[in-house]
Amino acid sequence: MKKLNKNMWAWLTHDEHQQPKAITKGDKLRKRLSALGAIGVAALVLTGCAPSSPEPAETSTQAQSSATADPVDPVTLTIWSWRTEDVEKYNTIFDVYEAANPGVTVEFEAFLNTEYNQILATGLEGSDGPDLAMVRAYGGVQALIEAGQLLPVDGLVDTSAVEQSLLAAATGKADGKLYGVPFATQVLQVFYNKGIFDELGLTEPTTWDEFVAVNDALNASDYTPMALGAKDAWMLPIFHEIVGAARFGGPEFRAELLAGTKDFTDADYVASIGLVNDMTKYMVDDVIGIDYASSQVQFISGTAAQFPGGSFELGNFQTQAPDMDLGVYLVPPPPGAVSSKPLAAGWADGSFAINSQSENQEAALNLLNWLASPEFGQLFVNEIKQFSAIKGMDYSDPVMKEIGELFAAGPSQYINLVDMRYGTPTGSTLIGEGIQSMFLGEKSAADVAQYLQEGVSEWFTPGS
Amino acid sequence: MRVKTAGRALSVRMPILTGVVFVAPALILFAVFILYPLITALSYSFFSWKGTLRGEFIGLENYVTIFTKKPFDEDLPNAFAHNLLLFAGAMVFQNSIGLMLAVVLHKIGKLKRLFQTMFTMPYLISPLVVGYLWSLLLSPLFGPVNAILKQIGLEEFALPWLGDPTTAIWAIVFITAWQWIGFPMLLYGAALGGIPDEVTEAAEIDGAWGIKKFRTITLPLLLPALGTVSILTFIGAMEAFAIPYAVGGSDGTPAGATDVMALLFYRTAFESGDVGSIGTSSALATVLFLFIFGVAVALRFLLARGEKRLYG
Repeated sequence: MKKLNKNMWAWLTHDEHQQPKAITKGDKLRKRLSALGAIGVAALVLTGCAPSSPEPAETSTQAQSSATADPVDPVTLTIWSWRTEDVEKYNTIFDVYEAANPGVTVEFEAFLNTEYNQILATGLEGSDGPDLAMVRAYGGVQALIEAGQLLPVDGLVDTSAVEQSLLAAATGKADGKLYGVPFATQVLQVFYNKGIFDELGLTEPTTWDEFVAVNDALNASDYTPMALGAKDAWMLPIFHEIVGAARFGGPEFRAELLAGTKDFTDADYVASIGLVNDMTKYMVDDVIGIDYASSQVQFISGTAAQFPGGSFELGNFQTQAPDMDLGVYLVPPPPGAVSSKPLAAGWADGSFAINSQSENQEAALNLLNWLASPEFGQLFVNEIKQFSAIKGMDYSDPVMKEIGELFAAGPSQYINLVDMRYGTPTGSTLIGEGIQSMFLGEKSAADVAQYLQEGVSEWFTPGS
Repeated sequence: MRVKTAGRALSVRMPILTGVVFVAPALILFAVFILYPLITALSYSFFSWKGTLRGEFIGLENYVTIFTKKPFDEDLPNAFAHNLLLFAGAMVFQNSIGLMLAVVLHKIGKLKRLFQTMFTMPYLISPLVVGYLWSLLLSPLFGPVNAILKQIGLEEFALPWLGDPTTAIWAIVFITAWQWIGFPMLLYGAALGGIPDEVTEAAEIDGAWGIKKFRTITLPLLLPALGTVSILTFIGAMEAFAIPYAVGGSDGTPAGATDVMALLFYRTAFESGDVGSIGTSSALATVLFLFIFGVAVALRFLLARGEKRLYG
């Protein structure tokens, strides 16, 4: 057991603002507080609105010629979003578009994140939905696509500036058509406290041996080497990607998995899950009892030296611990690794899409084209301070810049989110629960892999 | 005779229409907000779905899915067993301690109000807040519970309460009881206050004291309250959502050890990537409703029979 800071409890309760605020999907706390609201919406969704078959407007012909034409008549485009915290920033961004496109007014409306899916699904069914909407990524957008509520935009939007691997986030699983433009990405890596590393004379590891040596040295000190919220199952597939992506081979394994030449019971994938178990010696005892918020506190308060996590943590870390000198690195490939270089798993966080029943599809397509442009990408980076889905953006924050470089040097995809969320049970749920069982000594790495494979086999057919 | 006439006259002057007018507001509210949603959810469960777009009628296929396919074939019995355990736990701990507190408070009189208020206070806090509060208190890192256990030399009991599957569900039983203990206490308290003094005095004269008096006089007279509390506890336990969600998240961590039916419904409806989730989640909701409704009605029937036998 690592020595714990005796003042941590006092520190935690001292200032409520110190309580970790999560930012995106990891927002368990806010989710918890909004759960009843979501259940209320559930009742409404399941009961209140009789579904009607939407009649997608005939768009392809009318929109084909419109991608470059500026609308002459004044038009107001509404955009719905779940980013309530970014409304002002988006208004600033769309001011730029309005200035360049006279006659176009963009109204950006945001709804509570946890209730957004239901609000959007209901809005798109009726006639009072938005012209454009932020939609969830990958599996999260399929229901809207299958219901015919989004406009296919293949050939209507120039996506050449968008990171191509991210387009899958807005692609229909069944028909392979593109339904939107991704706007934000997340990247997985290890955050570390440079102050602690300097104090102990440690440097960023570049080989597996150095990685082990750094963690052994931290273990021998008063610090906890790694903070991990293993009680929250969703955090564990993230940790697995960070530690194991190079071991199982990242993009190469993904290609074989999707083609059906390999599955999750592959020896390299099993070994990558085994690595996760090996890492528990670098965590506090009973790590299975530590929740996500507590793991953030461990890192922010300086009792843990490293935090393996997503780029969505960055803003929170910088706000909560403004004095901490933050560094990032990728876990080097372990012995036997399929990939010779470290890998940074990434994914798209959401896309902009067009309502198939919008009466302003011409103007909406013009706007969507702009949302796929480097001009929007840079405004997004500068204003929203997140990673854009547009290639080659300039990041002023040094840590963001470094994360961007890590991703560019070893891009990979977070398989259990990107490819394994198109059915029930989802890959991330299965491997999350499986790793928890492994931590509890109930499953071996091979059992976890088998559990994952059997679970996704319910709906996942390779090669489809 | 005059009374009879008056009665007849009254029934003539009170036509069916008037009765309907009086009942209508409640009936309309019930129909719109309870009956209609119930029937709609039931109807949704018989269709295939693509997002919010209703597909063809598929009969019981969604029901077959939730009983035979992954993850439901494992998650459903697991979650259901936890709901039953929450019910059993609440009956054994929450309601028995609630009854004990009610009896003690009934006797002490003076500070009754103060203690009643104290015990019912947690009842006023949102269960989500209660769940989050206890997850902080039980945290192995900075939770005071384990810190105190270590201080007083009970280090072996300083467990990762919410991280160990064997303790996590019991922690939820305890947290639920902590919040709701005031509820059975109030109901039993009111029922105790309703027992006529003559009855207890007569029993005492006949030689019934202490436990004997409680077992033979007080407890049988509390039967209606016991029944009400049991049925409400059953419904509450089967519908448990907020505390398990706050403590174990929507996955019922660790490894499904705190999963309950409402969480399974929540995951199916909102967190699965399945485009047909409205159908399967409606089927789940329907099964859960029918089970709760059936058991509650059966319990009520059994209690009514018991009361009839007791009171004649």
